[in-house]
Formats: sequence, structure tokens, C-alpha cells
Amino acid sequence: MAAPVMKTVRGWSDLALGVRSAVLRLPGLSQVRWSRYSPEYRDPQIDKEYYRKPLAEQTEEQKFELELRKTQLIKAAPATKTGSVFEDPLISKFTNMMMKGGNKVLARSLMTKTLEAVKRKQFEKYHAASPEERAAIERNPYTIFHQALKNCEPVIGLVPILKGGHFYQVPVPLSDRRRRFMAMKWMITECREKKPRRMLMPEKLSQELLEAFHNQGPVIRRKHDMHKMAEANRALAHYRWW
Amino acid sequence: MAASCVSCCAALSCRLFLGGRVNLARRQVLWKAAAAELQTVFGSQILRLRHTTVVTTKKNVASLRCETYTVDFIKKQIEEFNLGKRHLANMMGEDPETFTQEDIDRAIAYLFPSGLFEKRARPIMKHPEQIFPKQKATQWGEDGRPFHFLFYTGKQSYYSLMHDAYGKLLNLEKHKNELQAKGLFSEEAKTKDLIGSRWLIKEELEEMLVEKLSDQDYAQFIRLLERLLTLQCGAAEKEFLQSFRRSVTIQSKKQLIEPVQYDEQGMAFSTSEGKRKSAKAEAVVYEHGSGRIKVNGIDYLLYFPVTQDRSSLGAYRFTSKVMLTSMKTAEPKVREQLMFPFHFLDRLGKHDVTCTVSGGGRSAQAGAIRLAMARALCSFVTEEEVEWMRQAGLLTVDPRIRERKKPGQEGARRKFTWKKR
Repeated sequence: MAAPVMKTVRGWSDLALGVRSAVLRLPGLSQVRWSRYSPEYRDPQIDKEYYRKPLAEQTEEQKFELELRKTQLIKAAPATKTGSVFEDPLISKFTNMMMKGGNKVLARSLMTKTLEAVKRKQFEKYHAASPEERAAIERNPYTIFHQALKNCEPVIGLVPILKGGHFYQVPVPLSDRRRRFMAMKWMITECREKKPRRMLMPEKLSQELLEAFHNQGPVIRRKHDMHKMAEANRALAHYRWW
Repeated sequence: MAASCVSCCAALSCRLFLGGRVNLARRQVLWKAAAAELQTVFGSQILRLRHTTVVTTKKNVASLRCETYTVDFIKKQIEEFNLGKRHLANMMGEDPETFTQEDIDRAIAYLFPSGLFEKRARPIMKHPEQIFPKQKATQWGEDGRPFHFLFYTGKQSYYSLMHDAYGKLLNLEKHKNELQAKGLFSEEAKTKDLIGSRWLIKEELEEMLVEKLSDQDYAQFIRLLERLLTLQCGAAEKEFLQSFRRSVTIQSKKQLIEPVQYDEQGMAFSTSEGKRKSAKAEAVVYEHGSGRIKVNGIDYLLYFPVTQDRSSLGAYRFTSKVMLTSMKTAEPKVREQLMFPFHFLDRLGKHDVTCTVSGGGRSAQAGAIRLAMARALCSFVTEEEVEWMRQAGLLTVDPRIRERKKPGQEGARRKFTWKKR
């Protein structure tokens, strides 16, 4: 396998290593999204199992990867990634989307309470059910959460495209990331808007999650509406050029 | 200032250049160079300041481009530089034989203190190779006929290099075909140091060839070299390829490991510091302990009531305890950060930590302590594990800070409400 062309820290830049100063990267172009890290910094690998794997089990590429990383500068691990067994990327993303005004503490507490509520409800059902039905009841709140969000993901989306002075809603395939985002967004907006006044968010959210898990409820209905609209606008599909 | 420096020693002639580096000169920017020469008249010790300025106006751009430094001129500059270096060494009371460039820089900074912010505008005394841009000698003879057969391509060095490399490639392939025809060809295992070195970058190649290249030229050249790599090379070709490779630093070696210290009872411990945003922390990690962490004299459970700052020492048992004792503020966030280094190395209940922290907020303090603890742990852990920690991002200082508010906007990113009129 040919060695990749590696870019390195430019020897003649006297900027402090790793930190960008006010110098522009490209003359004449101002940065809109920049980060405090130089572009040569790589993302950290938090998973400790990756490092504990014995050498014999690793493939050629992994060995090469390991060797390569020794020469690369690595960014600092963010506060949310701790390598703990309890952390789940989907849950973290959902918590961040629920957060308002930077109040991560509150968002995180709501999330844990939601999962607790889901678990409690499932356990009540479990204890109330007969032995034959018990096998079918899922009690792990994490699997319920994942499955519910997966059920809410739309397969196809609509994009407004300007043609001849009018905006047409054109059906368009969505990427994985966009689908996950839409599912989470719908879930959160649904819970915020349609919540009864005195009901707390965890309760409402747990309710919605359980309904979505069984493919019922308003979020699933919204997904079906989206699919129907896409089906109806099928004729406009050729407006898409990508 | 000049008078004082000369008055304290004998005849001195040194060249001081207020000017840019090689890159500046290469670009066609109007370059003003004021060279101040200090010359002494022999016997009379009189100073005479002579300024020679090369002022270019817009009309004279053509003459600027033709500004060439002859070989004799450069040689003379080098002689004067060496002479000046020896005089400078004498002035500073050091041995002229072992006077290095760093010593020169220090001496100049001492003798000519400058308050200018731009480091490149301060007085420097460097070897003429670094000051005068590398230029090609005249490429054609007296009859106007160019020497090199590729002169009219415009980039003769680049194309001749490509030509040589491609010639080598063809030779190697021919050789390989011959061997295969005879049946003597054998696949060798390629063991090249692919990681420890890299191809030279475009700027380095430009410097080597003293020619401007485009990105496509550079890419083409690298592709050719890669192709050469895939074939079996003889010693000459290997040397040819090595001349285009530069070594890459192994980042893990740069890590500073704190020495292990011993306190009165003979307990081994190690201290280190960490910071994050405006929080500064100092952690003392004891080698043998039971997993107690004390922050500013308070147990960390009480200092960080929010669980995210902490992290469970014993995974399951701990989180359940937290849920029961402090239901109100039981969110695992900040606490997990503290535990991350220990959990990563599987040394959860084995060390005692005492740390002091100040500044910043809740999360920043946790991050600072995490960094301090990870650094302190380096001294108790194998080098391999130190490298793992580095790759997990535990040993890097987080450079992110609060983004400043810009004028004309309400916040760092948020703009004012757009009003149509």
C-alpha cells in the first residue's frame, strides 16, 4: 500500500504549536467556522478496548493506523466523551438538542428521568402481564429509545426548490445523519408543543417514546404524512439535480 | 546606540539587515531594505554611518525584478558576515570559534534592544544564505543561447527532475522485465520507513529547485515518486528517493513525564498542573491508595455535586449510591471527567488524589483537574500507556476559549435583528 502524502506542521510558522492565532489561513478569505485547533490535529480515540487489543488480532491497516497516529497531534477529549460504560452517543445528541440556554445539567436530568420513567412503566406492565406475554415486553430503556427513534426516521424528505419563480417541495433521499436529526427534532417539538400544562417533560417524553416504539403516536403519524407528501409530489422528482 | 556599542570595543564591522526572510524577497513585493553599515576608518576610530536604501517606485518594477546578486557579491557578504561574527564574539567576551547562530541572536538582541512588535522587523544578523534569496545564475551564454535544453519550458529544474525520475522508472521497469523474462525475478518484502518520514512539501520542493511550482506540478511529482517506491530499487534510486523524504517527529516522545517524588512516610507521589479555560489545577497523585479524591480539602463528591464532573469510582455501585444520596443533583456529567483517566487505565481504586483548583467554572475546573491527574499518572505508567492516553486526548491542553463578541453583532455569532428598513 502506497504511503499517503502526509502534511506536517509547517516548520516556518512561528505560531504556538496547535493553537491558531489571528493569522488567516488563506489570504483574502475570512474564516466563518474555525476552531482553536490547527488543521493537523486529529480526533481522539476514546475507546480503551481499541488500545487493549493484542497485536496478533490487529489487521495490517489497524497496525498502520496505530503507527501513523504516533506521529499525529491529537485534540483534547471533550467533556462529554468519558469512555464510561454509561455513555451513549445517541443519548448525548438528544440531550444536547433538548438543552436550552446551555443548561446541560437540566437537560441531562430530564433525560435520566425520562429513561427512568420508561423503565418504570415497562416494569409495571411486566409485573401486570401473564407469563406468556412477559417475554415480549422490552424493559431496557436504551433499546426502547433507540428503537423508537429508528421508527420515527423518515425514509425520504422534501426540499424546497426554486423553479420558475415558485418553490416546489421536491422529494429527496436523506442521509443517515439527517434522518436521525429529523426524528429527534420531531420528538422534541412534539413533546414541547403538545404537552398538557401541568405534565412534566420526562413523563410526556416517556409516553411518546413508548408510543413510537410500538409504531403509534403523533411522531409516527408525522413521519407518515411526510411520506405521503413525498409520494404525492413524485412528479417533481426530476427537479432534483444531485 | 551604535556609538556605545563601538566605544566598548575595537574595530567592528557587522552587517545588520532590517529585512524579511527569504520568502518575503521571493515574492514580488516592493521591498525596502535599509542597510546600515558601520565602518571604521583605520587608526582614527571614527564612526561613519552610511545608509544605502533600495527604494523602488511603481515605475521601476522591471528593475526590481532584474535585481540579481552576483556570486562574488554573495561571497563577499559571507566573508563579512564571518568576520563580523568573530568581532561580535570578541565583543561579548566569548570564544569566536564556538559562536553559534543562537549566540549571535542573543548578542544582537542585547546590543540592539528593539521595542517593535513584529519580530521580523527587529535587527537581525544572519548568514547571507538566509537573507538573500536564492537566485539562479544567468541561464544563457554570451551568444544568448540557453545552457539547459529545457530552458524554454519555463521551469527547467522541475522538468529536468521529472525527466530524470521518469528515466529511472523506465530503467527499473526494463530491469524488472528482463529479470522476469529470465525467471530470476523475486518479490522482496518492502520494509520502508513509511511512518517516520514524509514526502517534502511543495514549499520545500520550490526551495530546492529555486523555481515556482503549481499544485498540479507538485502532485504529479509526488505521484511519480510513489510509483518509484512501488518498484524494487537499487541503492542509487533509494538514495534519490531518500533525498525527497523528510523525517516526522514522533509526538509521543515529546511528552514530559513528571519524576516520582517521595514524601515523609515514604509514599510515592507525583504532582502536576493542568488548566482549562481560566481554571488552574494542581494534582498530587499517590501511588497507593483507595481511590479517594480530595479537591481543595473537600471530598470531590461534595465539591462537584453534579455527577457529570465526577465519575463513578466503582462503576455500578457508585452510581446507585449517588442516585440515593443526592437525588436532586444527580446528573452524571462533571464527575465522569475526573474518573476518565483512571477508568481508561483500569486503575480506578488504586490511587489517592489531592488537588487544588481555582478559577473557571464547574466544568472548566473538572477539565483542569482531569488534565492534571492524567499528567501526574504518566509517571506511574508504562510509556505505551502514556501514548494511549495521548491518543485518547487526555494529555492535550484544551485550547478552546470563549469566543469574543464582535462589533456590529450582538454576541460572538448572533447578529442583530435584521430590519428591512
